[in-house]
Amino acid sequence: MNVNFLAAIMILALTGAFLPVINRIFRISGILGAIIASAGYVLSGFLVLLSEKGGTILSNFFVSDGVTQLLGLLILVASWMTMLVVYWVTEKDKFVNELIGALLISTAGALLLISATNFVSLVIAMELMTMPTYLMVLFAFDERSIEAGVKYFFNGALAIGTMLFGISLLYAVTGSFEFKVLAKELFKDPLVLLGAVLIFAGFAFKITAFPFHFWGPDVYEGTCPGVAALLTGITKSAAFIALMRVIYEALPAVSENFTFILALLAAITMTVGNLLALAQKKVSRILAYSSVAHAGYTLIAFAALSVPLSVTGILYHSAAYVFMKTAAFLCFAVFLFVWGAKTMDDYKGLGRREPVLAVLFLIFLLSLAGVPPMAGFISKVFVFAAAVDAGMTWLALVGLINSAFSVAYYIWIAKQMFLEEPTLERPVNAPSNKKFIVVPLAVMAAFLIVLGIWLGPVVNVSHLFALQVGF
Amino acid sequence: MVLLSMILVPVLAAPFAYIGERINRNIPKYLSLAVAIFLALCTVYLLVNRPESGFGFEEFYAIYPPFDFNLHLAVDGISITLLAITAFLAITVTLSSWNVEKPGAFFALVLVFLGPMVGVFASLNLLWFFIFWEFTLVPMFFHIGIWGAENRIYAAMKFFIYTHLASVFLLLGIIVLYLNTHSFEFVELLKKSAALDPSVVKLIWILMFIGFAVKMPVVPFHTWLPDAHVQAPSPISVFLAGLLLKMGAYGLLRWEIFLFPQATKFFAPLMAVIAILTIFYAGFRALAEDHIKRMVAYSSINHMGFVLLGLSALTAAGISSALYEMVGHALIISILFMIAGYIHHKTHTWYISELGGLMKKIPGLMTMFVIGVLAAVGLPGTAGFVGELTVMLAAFDYYGWVMIIVPLASALSAGFFMWMLQRAVFGPLRESFKELKSLKELPFVENLALAMYIAAFIFVGIVPSVVFNLYNGSVDIFAQLFK
Repeated sequence: MNVNFLAAIMILALTGAFLPVINRIFRISGILGAIIASAGYVLSGFLVLLSEKGGTILSNFFVSDGVTQLLGLLILVASWMTMLVVYWVTEKDKFVNELIGALLISTAGALLLISATNFVSLVIAMELMTMPTYLMVLFAFDERSIEAGVKYFFNGALAIGTMLFGISLLYAVTGSFEFKVLAKELFKDPLVLLGAVLIFAGFAFKITAFPFHFWGPDVYEGTCPGVAALLTGITKSAAFIALMRVIYEALPAVSENFTFILALLAAITMTVGNLLALAQKKVSRILAYSSVAHAGYTLIAFAALSVPLSVTGILYHSAAYVFMKTAAFLCFAVFLFVWGAKTMDDYKGLGRREPVLAVLFLIFLLSLAGVPPMAGFISKVFVFAAAVDAGMTWLALVGLINSAFSVAYYIWIAKQMFLEEPTLERPVNAPSNKKFIVVPLAVMAAFLIVLGIWLGPVVNVSHLFALQVGF
Repeated sequence: MVLLSMILVPVLAAPFAYIGERINRNIPKYLSLAVAIFLALCTVYLLVNRPESGFGFEEFYAIYPPFDFNLHLAVDGISITLLAITAFLAITVTLSSWNVEKPGAFFALVLVFLGPMVGVFASLNLLWFFIFWEFTLVPMFFHIGIWGAENRIYAAMKFFIYTHLASVFLLLGIIVLYLNTHSFEFVELLKKSAALDPSVVKLIWILMFIGFAVKMPVVPFHTWLPDAHVQAPSPISVFLAGLLLKMGAYGLLRWEIFLFPQATKFFAPLMAVIAILTIFYAGFRALAEDHIKRMVAYSSINHMGFVLLGLSALTAAGISSALYEMVGHALIISILFMIAGYIHHKTHTWYISELGGLMKKIPGLMTMFVIGVLAAVGLPGTAGFVGELTVMLAAFDYYGWVMIIVPLASALSAGFFMWMLQRAVFGPLRESFKELKSLKELPFVENLALAMYIAAFIFVGIVPSVVFNLYNGSVDIFAQLFK
């Protein structure tokens, strides 16, 4: 029994749940809500840091290991930054505390998801993570939010329904939900294969992998970009980790059958993501399709599941991804809020208007593009190395060439910001205190550079996990 | 600590250069000059204490030992030679950018560029080599894109995407190499590479060669270079030609030729063919070119063809001559780019057919131009002569009489340069230039930078042993590999 990790999640969830209640009773201001939430993050972060590695929680429903500790901390930091930006953008809105509350609960769900080792707890955690986000997407940011919210809700419901059906098929054959028990069974039953396919399909919805990626860009564009940062950074990264546990802990033998399909999906996902990203005019859609492409890169590592390097690839890429994607969307959020910048044309000369923020955005974009020494580079190296090691050099080459072409649209944004003459004259919103946003984003940028050079923490965790699942 | 400080000091000074501009416009350039002099002093220290052969000044910073991901810095004679060019060009480029617009950002980017550049030449860890290699693109992108000529944005994008795509092949080669040897360390790889499966080695060789060939650049991978050069501001063209292209040749030498002698022997004829193709193709393109800077850019490709030819002759003489040609090329092509830029600045035209008689109006600058051109053509007494001659001798030695065609290329380069001089510099002064106010001699600092190039290439041209002695010990060791 590992109390600390559970306590961290409880604190986060309770802070999130009571924030709106406190708000109803005492009418607290947004800043007070943000402070309370921050206290929750800090406390919860300390508890995650103190959590023992290797303990189970609630009799094998959840586990606390190096993966939960590492990703837990990264998710908490990313979520905290998201909270600050969300607060800052919606400061004057009367629902700001409700929004922050929902964010906290969703983050608690993400923490729970990365530690789930049982299909029941997996589904519960996934829904705890997703439910508040339905609310957040619907939060009226602009006229498209309703459409985005409805789209997101139906897709989410479809995803969880598909996954539940797959899980029930597995249960029908084995009589167990527990990952460890499932892993011991050697399956010959076609129902299990079908179940696994359905579970993978459910995950594909969550991580916007081809061919279930269509909702992603529409939803990310229609909602408040702070919420989009949560959706595309934190929840996707948590889903990567959950999928990793499912594949390596629950269904290693079954998954071997799918390596070629996973490889094919990886190749198509990233190619589709990158090609469509190249065709976009709106920065939010570019970032959204780049997120589809990144789902493809992660799938490469999943396809290489026969070699231990794949675990390192998945973990490193998820760890880097949660920071770079969240932070990139947050930068976009600030540009949108302060300057009303939506399209590529609006980004012209923003580097001159907001030099510090633009340089930070550049760092996140370069990391997404995989330019060293940012973390996105080394994580891609691990992913591609895993593919080569597993004998899929063609896939690594497809990934590398995709990655090289993706540079085109990332650098295109940089070009608009730094090389063109400004078109936007003055800010549409006078920001109250910009340091409030810039300092945390700078911390994330510094983190990304450190993570890009200091491999120790992530790689050690991935070694432990690889040993744990029997490599 | 010397090598690490040579990497870190420029990078850490960069933010101060950027912020310094707000306090005083002059701070960035003095800071950049100070860092350049610091690099030069460090290089002098390295030169004085250089090892007779093999690597010296070893520094090892364990970052993640299980993956061999360690910042391992060390230099041999070859690296020191290239570091000396880096430091020299850092000084001259700073001097010739003395009056640049937006000095804060410009010099900050120069400094951000110099740190990784030192890292490329000093890193003995392949992954770190790649990290430094790739990061040099970022400052270069902004230099071309912000301070370049009319089509700067197109050129910057093309430059970044093209060379990044090439690096992808290099990276894949590195990954395949790592998975077969489990090492990124040069010395380890040197031991292990002989035991590798020849077909794997050939795959790695080709993948890495694409990366290096684009950077050098050689035909047919050269198309990014004329655009980048033409649009880049002249001091940045100097960095491009003097350092960035050298990265390609250095990478080819250090990480392919020395690591895989057998595969290199197998591919050497291919390298020689590409080299000769490059020499002639670039020569003819230069002959047909009316745009003065593009002509210089093609002549630069032409010279890099000589470097590749020298490298492809797998003898100590070939490699030494290629290295010498690299030094000579860095010095000579830099002055040509600078003066081509000045000519445009003063006459507002790039086209040779619109120039004429410049010698009458600005004799000082044009005299230096003529000296530079003569060096590029290979006038005895300059670095150009020694470089081309030794490359040709080495090629003859290795490939035999087939190489008789190479001297013809020298005639070609003499042809396009002389024709350019005749049309642009000599002859009667154009009517439109007679009243042109901007057509006057350069200020002192910028003349100083040009004079430094001339002094340098005449010095190493008269006493070539100064350069050869730097790396003879290191080259001899490697020449053993091919015996």
